[in-house]
Amino acid sequence: MIELLGATKRFGARCAVDRLDLEVRPGELFAFLGPNGAGKTTSIKMICGLLSPTSGEARVGGRPSSSPEARRLLGYVPDQPYLYDKLTGREFLRFVVEMHDIESRRAERRILELIETFEMGDFIDELCENYSQGMKQRVVFASALVHDPKALVVDEPLVGLDPRSARIVKDLFVSQARAGCAVLMSTHLLSIAEELADRIGIVDHGRMLAVGGLAELRERLQHEGPLEDLFLKLTDDRRAGAKPASNGVAP
Amino acid sequence: MSLAIEEATPATLAPIAPDRTARALRRLRWRLTVNTLRSLFHGSRLRLSMLIGCSLVFWIGLFVLFLGGFEFIGLNDEFFHSLFEYLFSMFFLSILVMLFFSSGIITYSGLFQSREGTYLLSMPATTDRVFAYKFFEGVGLSSWGFFLLGSPLMVAYGLTIHAPALFYAMFLVYLAMFVLLAGSLGAIAAIVVANVFPRRQRSVLALSVVALLGIGAALASRLWRTPGETLSADWLGNLQNRLAFCQHPLWPSRWMSAGLMAAAKGDWFRTGYYLMVLSAHAALAYLAAAAVARDLMFRGYNLIQGGRASRRRWGLQALDNLFHRVFFFLPRPIRLLLLKDLRTFRRDPGQWSQFFIFFGLLAFYFLNIPRLGYAVQSPSWRNLVSFLNLAVTALILSTFTSRFIFPLLSLEGRNFWVLGLLPVERSQILWGKFAFSVGISLGATEALVFLSDLMLEMSPLMIALHLAMVAVLCTGLSGISVGLGARLPNLRETDPSRIAVGFGGTLNLLVSLVFIFAVVTALAVPCHLYYLGVEHADSTRLALSNASFRFWLGSALAVSLCIGVVGTILPLRIGIKAFERMEF
Repeated sequence: MIELLGATKRFGARCAVDRLDLEVRPGELFAFLGPNGAGKTTSIKMICGLLSPTSGEARVGGRPSSSPEARRLLGYVPDQPYLYDKLTGREFLRFVVEMHDIESRRAERRILELIETFEMGDFIDELCENYSQGMKQRVVFASALVHDPKALVVDEPLVGLDPRSARIVKDLFVSQARAGCAVLMSTHLLSIAEELADRIGIVDHGRMLAVGGLAELRERLQHEGPLEDLFLKLTDDRRAGAKPASNGVAP
Repeated sequence: MSLAIEEATPATLAPIAPDRTARALRRLRWRLTVNTLRSLFHGSRLRLSMLIGCSLVFWIGLFVLFLGGFEFIGLNDEFFHSLFEYLFSMFFLSILVMLFFSSGIITYSGLFQSREGTYLLSMPATTDRVFAYKFFEGVGLSSWGFFLLGSPLMVAYGLTIHAPALFYAMFLVYLAMFVLLAGSLGAIAAIVVANVFPRRQRSVLALSVVALLGIGAALASRLWRTPGETLSADWLGNLQNRLAFCQHPLWPSRWMSAGLMAAAKGDWFRTGYYLMVLSAHAALAYLAAAAVARDLMFRGYNLIQGGRASRRRWGLQALDNLFHRVFFFLPRPIRLLLLKDLRTFRRDPGQWSQFFIFFGLLAFYFLNIPRLGYAVQSPSWRNLVSFLNLAVTALILSTFTSRFIFPLLSLEGRNFWVLGLLPVERSQILWGKFAFSVGISLGATEALVFLSDLMLEMSPLMIALHLAMVAVLCTGLSGISVGLGARLPNLRETDPSRIAVGFGGTLNLLVSLVFIFAVVTALAVPCHLYYLGVEHADSTRLALSNASFRFWLGSALAVSLCIGVVGTILPLRIGIKAFERMEF
């Protein structure tokens, strides 16, 4: 459902993403890990059609990711979400469903479901300018799901959420994936990846260092410790200029 | 409740009809407008009444000015009428250039630099729809000033020449078409700049402004050297010849002036003809802009996103060291805070370029005073001009302090707690910002006023008086901006221009204007009456003798000093109190 095929993105002389291959299948929850500046957000922006690859391809549902058809399939929660200050949360959700041309009765039903799921009933009719960070984040999540996307891309999903909201979001990722949605989440919280992800991709300097299930990665890297140790081992090796492993882990 | 994806959702979806997304965007605009107006009406009454009151005063002031001007000139005279066609063409040509730049800049930042632009590009709308939405927002923002300036001009013109009622409706249609044309051209330029110079947009803007200023200066100099005695028939004929370039039939400004003047005379055939020419070109320009946006907007967005990567900023250590030496008397933490503001100022061409352009234009005018012949005029005339020059310098300084000093504290925004935790008293932070403002503005304004007085050949006493007044004005304007900036901060906004045009910024500008008026008038009146007395001792009843002048000048000095001290200390105290009470 979500594909990067040899995607490279150059900003002048700097290569932010280097021949990256990535696939997230329907029903899969994929965690995208990497240190700061590794190229995660650039990759996500290519998937969402906000940046076009310098070479290679980014596709959603088999369509080029910059096409309106691909955007209809996609729900996106950026690392710095945007809300209109002078709209209420409900008006914002209505705007999103109108942009996706969803039939009004079905849209209203869906909005009510999401208000209930994210427990937004107390504030959904206030202007967004009065929301706290957590309230904003919940509205943004609802807006990414209101059109029933086939692919959900989330950059740093738990920033600004209280433990209860974080729990809701985590459950939601799992339920979306189980319902057939391809979920790609980029995060620094390794525990979330460890807890939720079907597969994990570790990226650094724009290149995929390793990809696979947690058990698979442990086996390949011959490392039995927690994901944090595994992550640090991979990225530290890379910084130290170690040669790529010959055990199936990508250079 | 289930969040499962509904069965009805197909694996791939057909594209949404463009008119559906356009409708959604229209509804968004409508909803935003309604909610903004509702907030305005339910918010501060004082703010709303000030907004409406100021707009009305501005409109009526301009209307009275234009009406008086037209009646004075005598528009019914055929010769002056034809001259006015030239002047209107010139006026609309200048507006065309300004609208081109302002809508281009606003559309550029709306499409390529705003978070809303990025958000909309992630939605299933085609780029030309996103462009249309942001374009009309940009055109609205860039042209409201033109409507505010153009409508009193046209109403005054229509009343002076007894235009038919339809003229007043017609000029609004003309203005709208003109704005659409200029805005579309500006938007095309913005998208082309994003594609061709994605990392040099500021340089392109700066070079364009320099080129425009050069052309403007060459034109002004050419008009200035019009041969013949001023306002004589010969001189006016020559002036027309020199303005002939703006009457070229291909200029949209020419279509505006010819069409509007025809409407004012009731010549509906010519009115309709020029309206059709103008609207056809406006529609074509918009169509071209939409096509350019469809093909190049996303490419430009991509290039700009990649252009932010690596611009190394040099510290200019020598400048920083110099700053520490000059402001040695301030505590080091305050100096460091000021240095931060100074670096921000230095690295934002939007700030220093405006400072240099406005003060540079003033310096250019002051240097040309001998050419204007003011220096050989009577003492009372020179005295009047010197005070007017001083007032203009102070007015420009007040726009600078309102635009850049007032938002200083608001711009700390989310990092506001850093100020709260600094190991210094909070009042010192504000005193530091006050010193920064005075330090930046004092040198430039003193030099300008000194230059003006030298060119006007003023006496040493008057030069000293003016320099002292400038110091009072600088400290007062800085005190007002820093104090009100701390009393009425807008911590949510990150754009200084939006902070400056908000309620606090507007109030700051109004208080600054009242302050300037009070200080300048207090001293200008006795000086003017004295010089009138020198010239017409017998004929002017209000003229001051030498002895009474000394008394009145002393009193005026005391009054303006008092106004200066109150104007500086009172807002600062209000600001310090509010800042000390502020919770982070």
